[in-house]
Parts: sequence; structure tokens; C-alpha cells
Amino acid sequence: MLYMLIHAIDESRDVDDERWAQIDAALSAWLDETAAARVELHGSRLRPTSDATTVKIRDGETILVDGPFTETKEQVVGYDLLSCESLDEALAWAARHPTATLGSIEVRALHDAPSRTVLPDQVPTTTRYMMLVCVPEDVELSDDEAARIGPATDAWVRDVDARGVRLFGSQLAPVDGARTARVVDGDVLLVDGPFAETKELIAGFDILECADLDEALDVAARHPVARFGSLEVRPFW
Amino acid sequence: MSGGDASAGVDDAADESRRPSTPSNELTRATVVGAFRDEWGRIISTLVRRTGDWDLAEECAQAAFERALSRWPRDGVPERPGAWLTTVARNLAIDQLRRIDREELAARRAAPRDVLGRFDQVFEPPDDLWLDDSGDDRLRLLFTCCHPALAVESRVALTLRTLGGLTTAEIARAFLVSEGTMAKRLVRAKRKIENAAIPYRVPERASLGPRSASVLSVIYLIFNEGYSASSGDDVIRRQLADRALELARLTAQLLPEEPEARGLLALILFQRSRFEARVDENGDLVTLEEQDRSLWDHHDIAEALDALDLARRSGGEGTYVLQATIASHHARADSLTRTDWGAIVASYERLLRLSRSPVVALNHAVAVAMHEGPAAGLALVADLEDAAALRDYYLLAATRADLLRRLGRLDEAATSYREALSRVGTEPERRFLRRRLSEVDAANAQQERH
Repeated sequence: MLYMLIHAIDESRDVDDERWAQIDAALSAWLDETAAARVELHGSRLRPTSDATTVKIRDGETILVDGPFTETKEQVVGYDLLSCESLDEALAWAARHPTATLGSIEVRALHDAPSRTVLPDQVPTTTRYMMLVCVPEDVELSDDEAARIGPATDAWVRDVDARGVRLFGSQLAPVDGARTARVVDGDVLLVDGPFAETKELIAGFDILECADLDEALDVAARHPVARFGSLEVRPFW
Repeated sequence: MSGGDASAGVDDAADESRRPSTPSNELTRATVVGAFRDEWGRIISTLVRRTGDWDLAEECAQAAFERALSRWPRDGVPERPGAWLTTVARNLAIDQLRRIDREELAARRAAPRDVLGRFDQVFEPPDDLWLDDSGDDRLRLLFTCCHPALAVESRVALTLRTLGGLTTAEIARAFLVSEGTMAKRLVRAKRKIENAAIPYRVPERASLGPRSASVLSVIYLIFNEGYSASSGDDVIRRQLADRALELARLTAQLLPEEPEARGLLALILFQRSRFEARVDENGDLVTLEEQDRSLWDHHDIAEALDALDLARRSGGEGTYVLQATIASHHARADSLTRTDWGAIVASYERLLRLSRSPVVALNHAVAVAMHEGPAAGLALVADLEDAAALRDYYLLAATRADLLRRLGRLDEAATSYREALSRVGTEPERRFLRRRLSEVDAANAQQERH
């Protein structure tokens, strides 16, 4: 089973150089261990939310917002994708990741198993983006709309895959099944639910490789969720 | 920037074009200031295209002007000041990139790719490709600065800094924020352009419409900030209005297929033509009704009418074209009563179909009052009283007050003027309303006496 570790920290948090050095060392060790155990598929830091753009379509008009999909104290700063036997195993790896000592790590199962599990090398003239697919918690779709969203998303995936713009992506298991790991004073705290209580929830993600932001925003605006939810587009670090 | 001397090649190039005579210092200073206004945006836009580095572009352009200030008074003004400045800025940029390149290689940093790529681009032989005579680079820069993925206030600030040549301190003063806040805003926007890969180009035809709408709205915002007599420093405000006009001219010229660009140019010119007439010697607002129309600038009006004519002939009927059309009816009339209010009402009706803005609806009500009488206008104002966006808008109460006054319902007029006064933001507007209030109070008192 594939699991996504969503790393979230408070961007305004002050971390001194010494602490960064410890975190970097812990991260290298974590990457070595996960590689040795053959659980880590890929992962990356993301650029801060000040480099994010959120896309939605309302009344037929494309609206771009400079910033993340939701204004919360903790913000998504990166992700890892692990192949584990169980949610508990994924949580155990999350608890050992240094982000757990700085903020939170939300662990979510991937709903569809992508055929490709390793990202290809990046073409130098492109930029990689994380596109978070976000849906309002209280979204009410008519039966008709609900029936259409699946096939429409499939058509979107086929289109972006054919254009070679999408490297990877999946729906995530609903947030009721999410667990979040934090390490406070050396103690591992595991709680049910996502890293933040928000009106919009991360329902899925896609990793895009585009010539520039215009192409990425165009791809995002074509996603069927744009009409009732929003898509946050953020460059990789 | 004071680093290495990149002027060796420049002096040779400049020698040939240098004038034999040495003009006076003040004259030269004025030439540098003029060149700054004319050339800053060109140089920045070309350097950004060639280096992809916004900070470097600003630094080198700044340094080139500093050098002009010290060299031109001594050596004379070169025949083509723009070419001289561009060459100096370019050489400084090459010099900087060489240094960065060496440092990066020395530090064995992982990504010399970008620097070397940029270096190759910059290191082409100097030629007129460096000169943005066509304006294409400035148009690219304008579209990038006004990209909708940037916050509106960042678009405005970035446009003023890179194309308008205003300093960070001046922009901060114009928008009443601290210099530190403005500097942060600019840095954040430039970082996002770089990190999120916002492209440096004029968008393709398919998305040109909405993207030029963003460009035009930024230009109009800048103009309004300068034109509205709300607050702040007069010199800066005039500068904002002038820069907005230059940008509107550039956009109209470079986007000939976009009638809205000409519409905006016309609108800005119509409004600017009333610059002298719209405030009195005390800085108080003078309404259109009371303006001395002989103070209107007829050069601006003539240019505006031409631009509007072109826009409409190419099929323009967007919001700027319609607003300029309304302004043109005022500009053509010699008094408020001899204005074609029927045509103005018709334009407002078309405008209302494009944007359901309650402010447009209020202006429509005012025009109807002029065309059909205050009672008709008042009925439309009554329909707007529930609009959430207008609830605290002082002009709604002020308009209602004015229509009631004209209907002779002085008691109610006074109440509405008081309501408007409780919501108004600026001193000249407050003074205007107080004056009107005391007029209706006096008339009221007189009526009661009789």
C-alpha cells in the first residue's frame, strides 16, 4: 500500500542554525534508513507558501489567488511517498522523521495505486509543481454532478498524462482515516485526523512538470474540482 | 553597486557619440532626469530578458544612471543617451555575472547551469538588439509584473518600480506603508516570479484578453491613486498619474488589437484634462457642475477623443471604452445642462450589463436624475439602499442628499448629508458635504421663517 506523508510546519517558526544542522543530519539518516528498508519512493520539500498560487473557477471565471489554499498556522512544506505494509508502519516512519519535531506529519493512504512509482529525471528547462486538490468539507454536489466528477477527473488525467505534464498523482483516502504524528519533548503523539482543522481538505494531489507557471495554472484550471474546490500550485524546492 | 570597472568598453563607444560642447551642469542634470524617465523601463526590461535576474537589472540600471550623473556634466551628453545607458548597464551586468559565476564555481555549488546560461545570453556582442526601441521588452515586463498569480498590491508596486522607475521609498509613500513593508512586498513578488517560474512574455492570443485586463486595471489603479485627491504627497501623486498615462500610451500603442487599451488611454486623458479644475485653491473638491470648464486641458481632450474614436472603430465596447465614452460627452459639453444625458444614461446601461458594480449603478442613477429629473434618480437610489457593498459608502447618502435637496425636501436632505458626513473618509470631501449641509440648513431655516 502507498502512503503519503504530508509535512506541515509553522513557516514563521524561528529555527536556529544549530537546530537546522541537527535536522539535516536526522533527515539524511531517515532517508538512508527508508532507502535501505526500500519503503521510500520519492519526496521533496516545497517552496514556501509565498510562492504558491491557488486556482478556482466560479461562475465560469478563473480566479487566481496569491497564496495557499487555506490560511492556517501550519502549512504544507513537503511530502514523502512510502510503500508500507500498513498505516501503522507508515506512522512509525513518520514519527522518526525530523519534521515531526518541528510541526506535524499527516499520513494518508493513496486511493488509487499509480502505475509509476519513481519520478523520472527532471528536464532542465522545466519547473516541478505540487498541485494539491482541495475540496470544501461541506461540499454538496447534486447526484448528477457527483456522477460526473469521476469520469471528468479520469479524462483530465488521460489528457495531462498524454501531454507528459503529470508525473504522478492520486486521490487520498478520506480524512477520517488520516492520522497525524507529532513529537513533543521526545514523546510521539499520534492523533486522528488531518494536521489542521480546515474548511477545505486535501483530497488528492498531482505532481506536474511544466514549462512555466502559466502552463501549470492552465492544467490546474482544467481539473474538474476547480469548479467547486480549489487547486494549490506550488513549486518544488 | 560599486564593484569592478566595467566602463572600459563603454568609454570607447561613448567617445564617438559625444558632443563636442559641454553644457551647463544643471542642464545636464535635467537631461539625466529626463533620460531616467524615458529609459529606465527600457533598460530594466531588456536586462531582465537578457539575465533573468530582476535584482541585478535594477542594480545595474541604477549604477548606469549614477555614472551618467558623474560623467555627463564632465564629458558632455552622448548623442544617444539611451544607447549609452544601456551599454553601461549591460557591461555592469556582464561584470556582475562573471563575478557570480566565479564565486559559484569556487563554492562548487550544484547549479552553475543557470548562471552560465544567463552568461551566454548576456555575453552576446553589443548591438541594437539591446535597445528596446520596439517596446516589446517593456510589454513583456508589464505582463509579468501584472501577472494574476501575484497579489494586486504587488503588481502595482512592481510595475511602478520596474517600469515607472519610482524608488521603493516613493512607492511606500504613495501607498502609505513603511519603506520596509514595501521592500518586503517587492522582494516577495520578485522571488515568486523566479521560483514559481512566472514566464517573461506577452501571453498567447487565447489568454491575452483576461491578461491584458489585469495590466489595464493595474495602470488604472496607479492613475487613480495619483488622481484621487484623497491623501498623501502631491508630488508623488502627480508622478503616479503621469507614469500611469505613459504606461497607458505604451500599452495602447503596443496592443493595437485591444480596443480596451485605447479606451483606458482615453479615459485617463479625459480625467487628467480636469486635473486643474477639480480642486479649488483650498484643495476642496469641485463638482463637475461647478467646475470652470475653461480650465480643462484641451490637448488632453483632443488626444482622448482620437484614442476613443480608434477604440470604437475597432469594435471596442468594453468597460474602459464605455467609461471613456461617458467622459467624452462631458468633455464635449460646455455646461452640465447642455450635456447629452440621454447618451450618458445609455452608456451606463451598457456598462451595467458588463459589470453589476453598485458604484456604476449609483452613477447611472445620477445620470438618470439629470436626464429625467431628480425623482426618477431617487427611485433608482432607493433600489440600491439594500446593496451590501454600498451600505457604508458615503456617496450613496451624499447622492440621496443631493437629489432630495433638488426636490426641495430639505429636512430629509439634511439628514442624508449628516449620514454621508458620518461615513466620509477624507477632509476635502468632508468640507464639501459640510458646506452643502449648511446651505440646506440655512434654506430650511428660511422656509420655516416664512
